[in-house]
Order: sequence, then C-alpha cells, then structure tokens
Amino acid sequence: MATDAIGDERPTLFLRKATGLVRGWSVRDSMIYACLSTNVVTLGLVEFAYQGAFPSGQLLTAVLLSGVWVSFLVIAYSGLVVTIPRAGGDYVWQSRILWSGLGFVMAATGWWFILWLWAPIYGTVLAEEFFQPLWATLGSPSGAAWFGTHNGTFVVTLITIALAGVLVSLGMAGYARVQKWCFLGGLVGFAVILILLLVSSKANFISSFNAETARLFGMKNGYGGTLADAGSKAVGYTPPPFGVAGAFSQSLLLVPMLMFYLLWPNWGTTLYGEVRGASDFRRVFSGMFFGLWTTVLLSVIFLALFAKTFGWAFYQSANTLWVDSLYGIPTTHALPIFPYPALLAGWLVHNTTFQVILILLMSLWFFGWVGTLFLSSTRVIFAAAFDRILPDGAAQVSEKRRVPVWSLVLMLLPAIGLAALYSYNSTFHTYTLDATLVIAVTYLFSAIAVVILPWRKPDLWAASPASRIKLLGVPVVPAAGVVTIGLIGYCLYEWLSNSAYGVNNNDSLIYMGAMYVLAVVIYLAARVIRRRQGIDLSLINKEIPVE
Amino acid sequence: MKIFFATDIHGSEICWRKFLNAAAFYKADMVVLGGDVTGKIMVPITAYPGYWEVTIRGERRRLENREQLAEAERLLRDRGSYPAIVTPDELDALNSEEAITGRFNSEMTRSLDRWLDMADGKLHGGEIPCILNGGNDDIFDIDPILEASSCVTFAEGKVLDLDGFSMVSMGWTNPTPWDTHREAPEDELAAKIDAVAGQIPDLGRAIFNFHAPPYGTGLDEAPALDQNLRPTHGGAVMKPVGSTAVRDAITRYQPLLSVHGHIHESRGVAKIGRTLAMNPGSSYSDGVLQAALIDLNQKKGKVKYVLVNG
Repeated sequence: MATDAIGDERPTLFLRKATGLVRGWSVRDSMIYACLSTNVVTLGLVEFAYQGAFPSGQLLTAVLLSGVWVSFLVIAYSGLVVTIPRAGGDYVWQSRILWSGLGFVMAATGWWFILWLWAPIYGTVLAEEFFQPLWATLGSPSGAAWFGTHNGTFVVTLITIALAGVLVSLGMAGYARVQKWCFLGGLVGFAVILILLLVSSKANFISSFNAETARLFGMKNGYGGTLADAGSKAVGYTPPPFGVAGAFSQSLLLVPMLMFYLLWPNWGTTLYGEVRGASDFRRVFSGMFFGLWTTVLLSVIFLALFAKTFGWAFYQSANTLWVDSLYGIPTTHALPIFPYPALLAGWLVHNTTFQVILILLMSLWFFGWVGTLFLSSTRVIFAAAFDRILPDGAAQVSEKRRVPVWSLVLMLLPAIGLAALYSYNSTFHTYTLDATLVIAVTYLFSAIAVVILPWRKPDLWAASPASRIKLLGVPVVPAAGVVTIGLIGYCLYEWLSNSAYGVNNNDSLIYMGAMYVLAVVIYLAARVIRRRQGIDLSLINKEIPVE
Repeated sequence: MKIFFATDIHGSEICWRKFLNAAAFYKADMVVLGGDVTGKIMVPITAYPGYWEVTIRGERRRLENREQLAEAERLLRDRGSYPAIVTPDELDALNSEEAITGRFNSEMTRSLDRWLDMADGKLHGGEIPCILNGGNDDIFDIDPILEASSCVTFAEGKVLDLDGFSMVSMGWTNPTPWDTHREAPEDELAAKIDAVAGQIPDLGRAIFNFHAPPYGTGLDEAPALDQNLRPTHGGAVMKPVGSTAVRDAITRYQPLLSVHGHIHESRGVAKIGRTLAMNPGSSYSDGVLQAALIDLNQKKGKVKYVLVNG
C-alpha cells in the first residue's frame, strides 16, 4: 500500500498493491534514445555537407532555428503521449482521433514503407563514416573509394540490413545495453575530437591536412587547393563566414534540409505505454526535449570548432567539392571519400593506431543507432496484423526461435530492392529527402490530431494532464500542434516546390505517391476480403456508447 | 455464437458501462470479462463545511456544490479510481496499512455492488449472458458478491457450457513482483488447470479463459524492470512474463480458443499448435475498452475474431 503526499500535507491518493505499479522510466534513458535518434554524427554531419545547396545560408542559424521549431513538435507529441499513453504512437493516435484508415495509411507509409529507403541511407552513412575512413587510414585509399561505388554502396547496405534484421530477431534486450554503451563511447569520441580541435591551431590543421592528403591521395597543397577549387568558375561557391549573420531567408531554406536529422526526438513515442509513467507530462517532455537540445548543443560545438580549427570556408568548401563530385562535377582537390570531420580531426595526430581508435569510437554513434531501423516497422506490421488488415501470418513468430519471420520478410526484401535501386540507379540516391518527407507527412496528421483533440474527444482531453498546461489561458499543447503544422507545412512546401532538395521531380513524386497508393490499396483490399470472411474492420475503432 | 471478451478494466466505470453496452453494440450473444475488475487507486475527497477538496491528477480542486462533487466523482470513477468522501479526521485516521486496506476494500465492494445494479438493468436481468472472473489484482472479497449476483455468472474454477462450447476459467497467475492476491507457483497453477480441464467433454470445443497469458507467445511481453521496479533502457526492452503452466496446458490440451489478459501492453494473437490464443490488452485508463469480438462456428468448430477498441 502506498500513499501520495507532499511533506506534512495529507495524502491525495492511496495505491493498493497491484500489478504494473512501477516507477516511471528514467528521463536519462529516453533522453539518450532521443539524442541517438536525432543523431548529429550519423545524420547531422552528412547533412551539413549539403549546405552548398543554399550557399549563403548559415548552418548555425538553421540548426538553432530548427531546434526551437522542433521543440514545439516535442510539446505536441508529449501531449499525445500523456493523453493516450499507448504503445503504437501515431497509428493509435490518428486511428482514434481521426480515422482508422488514415491511421493505417500514415503508419504504413511513415513507419514501414519509407524505412525501406532508410536502409540504403543507413548503409551510405556506414560506408562514409566507418568503412571509408577506416580503409583510408589503414593505407588503402582505393579500397576506401570502392565503398563509394555502386557495388560498395550496395554491399554495405546489405550488411546494414542484415545487421538490423539480426537485431530485430534477437530482440532489444541485449541491444539496449549495447546502445547505452555506444552512446557513452560515442561521447568519449566526441570529447577527444573536441579536445583535439580546441588545442590545435588552424596552422596545425593546414599542415596536417596537406601531409595526410598527400600521403593518402597524392594531393598537392590540399588545403589551399580545396579553397581555390571551390571558388573556381566551375564550382563558383563562396562560403559564408561562420556565425548567425547573413541571409536569413537562405538559412530558413536550410531548415527543411536539417529535418533529415533534427525531426526525430519523438522517435521513441511508439514505445511509450501505460506502465512507464507516460502520463507524466514533464517526464515525457524532458526526455525528448533534452535529447533534442543535447543534439543541438553538440551540433553548435561541432560547427564552432570546425570554424576555429578547420576554417569555416575550408570546411564548407571541402563538403561542397565532395558533393559536387558525387553529382559528376569533379575537381582536383575534391576528397575521394566523405570529408568526415572525425577523420580530419584524427589527422591532427600523426599516428595510425590513434586515428583508427578515434574512427572506431565515433562509429559507436552508428552502431548504437542502427538497431532502431526496423524496430518501429515490426510494431506497425504486428499492429496491422492484429487489426486484421494484414494476413494473420504477418504477426506470427516462429515457436522455436521467436523470430518474426514474415514481418522480417516484409521489411527486408523491399529494403534490399530499394538498396539496389539506390545503389545502381543514377538518380534514385538524390531522393534521399523523400525519406524525411514521408515521415513528416505522418507527423503532420498527428499534429492535426492534437490540435482538434479538445473538440474531437472532449472527455479524453478533459481527463488529460496536457489539458491543464496553459499559457495566458491558452492550452499549450494544441497551440504547439499549430506551430508544428506550420513547421511541417513550410517544409512540405519547400520540398515540393524547390528543386534544390531533390524531391520535386517526377520519379521521386511517383515513388512517394506509389507508397500511399499501396497503403490505401492494402487497407481497402483488407476491408473487402475481411468483409467476405464475415469480419467487419470498421468496428475496430468504433466507440461503444457509454449510456 | 458471438462472444465479446474484454479484460483488465481495473475499476474504470466508463469501461464497465461500455462493457454492458457491448452486446447490443456488436450484436454479441454474450459478454465475458476476464479478470482484474477492481481498481488500484483510492482518492480521498475531503469534506469541509460547505465545500470539498480533492486532488485529481496532481491538480487540487475545490468543489463548491454537489454538482461539482458528482462531476469529480464521475471523473475519478471513469478512469478507475475510487472516490472516498472523508472528513479531515477520517483522512488522518487512514494512517496505517490496516486502516487503508479496510477503507479500500469497502470502497471496492461498494463500487462492485453499484456496477452489478447497473448490469441488472443493462443485461435485462441476466437475459444477456455475462461471465465474470477475478484476476490476480482482485481481492477475494469480490468472489461471493459475484457468486450471489443474479445477472452475472462467476466463472472461477468452473466448466461452463456455452451453447455447446465449454469454457473453463482461472484468475490466478504466476508470481509477479507485486505479490498480488491470486498468485501461485507454476506447479500449483498446473494442478488448478488440470483439475478443471479434466472435466471438459470435448477439448476441440473448449475455451480456456485464463487471466495469465501463456509464456513466450508474444501475448505476455512486459517492460523489463530493474530491482527498483523501474523499466530498464527507457522501457524499450520487453520480456515475456506469462505462465509456463498455462502454455503447457494449452500445448497439451489444445483447446479451440484461449483468451487471456493480465499484460495490458501485450495486445495480440498467437497460434499455439491448433489453439488460437489472444490477449486483447487493456487501455482502461484512456476510457477505451479494448476487447476481442469472437465468432465461434458451432458446426465447424472454427473461430473468427477481430480485436476492437470500443
């Protein structure tokens, strides 16, 4: 028996001994999850390289602006978690607040189908931040470059898919422990880079860079050449000075790009449930919010130190030349591999063992993150099978080994197909931001759900702790939902109207549209087939009258 | 025959009302509640001269009139709490485990009496069959109340004939970290199951209604806890916590259907040999009645189902 009272005050409730009365999950754990989801190393550093799409945009301004804007999404999602604290996230909220069919279509596209595209993206990150720098450091630049070829990308993606598939099969128990140690190891790697960049001068870096690029890639005057190539007529890139000043409109255009890594602090909300203290708004909010802002802080520290030691113009130029080389604009001083800042920082210490250890430490940011690739997909497939939308077998688990065989097939096979397309098709890899867009659309409907919640489900809202959070009499959670709609609406507008993001071309739109069509077809087919079997799917979320 | 099966409503009055309306809403022939009927929380409403005070979800409220009092009671009951109107002196007297337990039990049984009165009207005095069972969180004091009711059938340890199908029920579970009321070691559970399963005339037309889900079937996944009962790894790590005795019994007897509850998070369906096993889960704190709508074909002995969020 337990009571709840503050100090000498009288108790406000009594709990009897009963199942499930556990303490809330630790804010630190959910913060780590949110921080690894908005992964500054795996996703952030890669996306920073594309700043050249908006040459006078300021990364620092865009990161801070994105952090503030996404904080509203955190508030909106915290409101949904504490109001309907069920595992399943967007699927459950949209099904209950909006409509079952919409919940399925948004969950299937945003938490399942689009993850097929994330597989080669994860694979590319593994190639660029692990295999390439490792091979280069071990003295095989040609081997390193192979990982950037069609075959290299495909093979590494297959490794990634296999790794994520094995983790789904084994379950999260062991991996969650690994994840925490990866986060801590990754922070150690981050600290080493921080110290290196703090104590080293720009002159040190210039000489180290020139020496290492000459040794590994036979490049002459690598540092000066990089700046000269970027400023050449062929490339025509003039990087902006580091800071927050400059063309705000261009910085604003970087926001939809940065959503590639900053839009995911709520990634763990599919896992939140009743017994985890999920009705405590402050606890739910804190985990996601501090996870997001840890990432923002790490990003700002990274960028500031790159500016100090690499030189901001050099950092941006090296990235731009590398991206241009990917798009068929070769220059003499473009690095043949991703100018991975951990690799560049490691060059400040002329010791191969140290450089390898640093790359391995920083790779923990990847290995602590890769396990989540298919985790949410499994849950959506299981939920859809339990709702009889997918065949029952989709949720079956092998009796001996407890492996979800069919859900793995539904995730892995299309992912392998997409990996082949991504690796060998000359344009498909430019649709990378489709992977962000489709999930953002799913978020958009959850944001709409939270805005209309007080009207659509007044009893549920009245009973929710979220309804009592007000600022100047205005309920904060629905208001945050409106700001979130603004963020996603703005991003969607830019993605779909500005060709710089690589999204608004015919093939990309057909690819995304096909996913929505597929989800709608599955849902409608399920309705028809189940009705013939005497099962009415429309009953699933129909509310029984109380009176 | 269409059965509406729900479980683990834990004192939520909104879920109880929905349960009573479910037969009409889904055109079901009978309704079954698989245990954990009673709530876990009692909230004192302190009566002062001319007003009352209560804290609901961390917010202290002053209730100025009887309408506000009734509204606060409704809000508490809907989400599974028992409102207990007390004077300041009575509240001060709730300072020992014995005193709290006594008051808690009295609120629980009083609430159950109210619920059975509601059931009498809604189920037309037993015209719509309604089967209830205890769960591990239910005190034993509720058993005689349910047994004595004319509008519900208390199912614990009985073989009930449901229009040609036999249902056996058990609210006991394997041990939990909370040491609740109806827990027993696995060998005792096996003995309890064998005692009733042996009386079933045709196992091909049997329904097991066991509160504990079978171990390691996906119907029993709960967050892994540390020694302080805190979920580990942000709650992302789940582990099976069901009963091996229940699983063994299903594997051995192979009933047509096996329905379970206990683990709210583990809504799902599994095949164990020829047996279809399911746990509709519970979302009582949202006021949503999760359930399974099960259609049993009497001629073919086949099962159709859909899990609903009513």
